[in-house]
Amino acid sequence: MIDMQNILKKIDKLPPFPAVYRKAMQLLQKPDTSVDALIQVIQYDQAITANVLRMCNSAYYGLQRKIHSLRDGLVVLGNNQLMEIVSGCTVVDFYQKKGHGYGLERGDLWKSAISSALISQIICKLIGVAETPTIFTATLLHDLGKMVLNDFVWEENEKIVQLVEEGGYSFEEAEQNVLGMDHAEVGAMIAEQWSFPEDIIRAIRLHHSPEKAPEDDVITPIVYLSDIATIMLGIGVGSDGLSYRGKEKVMKRFGLKEKDLERVMVDFYEAYNNVQRILSMDE
Amino acid sequence: MKVSNDPDEVLVTYSLGSCIALAVYDPVVKVGGMIHYMLPDSNLDKQKAKERPFMFANTGIPVLFKSCFKLGAKKNRMIVRVAGGSQLMDQSEFFNIGKRNYAALRKLFWRNNVMIKGEDIGGNVNRTMSLNIKTGTVTLKISGRGEVVL
Repeated sequence: MIDMQNILKKIDKLPPFPAVYRKAMQLLQKPDTSVDALIQVIQYDQAITANVLRMCNSAYYGLQRKIHSLRDGLVVLGNNQLMEIVSGCTVVDFYQKKGHGYGLERGDLWKSAISSALISQIICKLIGVAETPTIFTATLLHDLGKMVLNDFVWEENEKIVQLVEEGGYSFEEAEQNVLGMDHAEVGAMIAEQWSFPEDIIRAIRLHHSPEKAPEDDVITPIVYLSDIATIMLGIGVGSDGLSYRGKEKVMKRFGLKEKDLERVMVDFYEAYNNVQRILSMDE
Repeated sequence: MKVSNDPDEVLVTYSLGSCIALAVYDPVVKVGGMIHYMLPDSNLDKQKAKERPFMFANTGIPVLFKSCFKLGAKKNRMIVRVAGGSQLMDQSEFFNIGKRNYAALRKLFWRNNVMIKGEDIGGNVNRTMSLNIKTGTVTLKISGRGEVVL
């Protein structure tokens, strides 16, 4: 079994997605760049968001309340520190890795994070829940654990896939069986280590088992649905495929019908094209 | 959607999930085309279907065939291959878009008398499909599991 505690200790900073990093650096080099313009670009990057939350919620700042979003974080940090965070990020990791254990390229995880965050906004509108920055952040960061496992899990991946194919396990159940914990738990442990707010930690931890969240928790089931819709679209899906459980109770709780999920996918397509325009990416 | 008669071209569509990719090929004139649609029925959003017909099976598939005919392909020679339509595990009707995507295609093909030569549908895997215009070979790459010729 791999030594997860030891791996987690090594997780210090997460590398941002190169397209976001390049665009952010371009903006930072112009003297007249506004913070809003910068936020527009970096809000879609789970690594930069995680790094900002980590810094703001650290003991160094000693804040009374936790910081839940990039925008709140920037009030605490100020422009210069934000620039330090972004320019201090490294993208080297993207190119040094020979491949990835979960069959995912870093771009896949980035795409999946931003796609589910966009979908969470669409779902909020659909079910009449206020679109809070916390929901956006929790959805953006829900697969932090996958970012880590994708780099550290190699031969174990075969065993996980085998359990899914032959044993009728869902992917996260197979992860628990082989690794002793699933990617949701790994993500929550990182979020804890970095002193993220409780509601975000819980949504990360329970994003495949929303039924375990307290009844008044609206964030976790929204993160779950946003993730499931993203997976169904084949975005950011590696060797796990679609091997996750569809939980109709969550749909029923929000009064959603099967057609609503289709509606979400149609609206997502437009939203995603807009983000690609902002980052002027190819593909 | 892409159609081509350039023998050096390989058409690819990535990461299907519950979406479906349909590859058609006329081996005589070496014309091929591919569509990657997301949803079964354009009645969901007729306006969107006008802007993006390829999002839906019922509006996208006919355009794919017609575009190939324009390049000289003939319906009776068309070789048709289909992949995708994956499902979540123990999914209920709430999450069965993959299944409905496939049913929409079957219905359309049945009405128009189109035969499917090869298919890899359903299950929980994520597929990427490519069509080689020179040879008509359709290859599936299954995330984390390798490649197969369909």
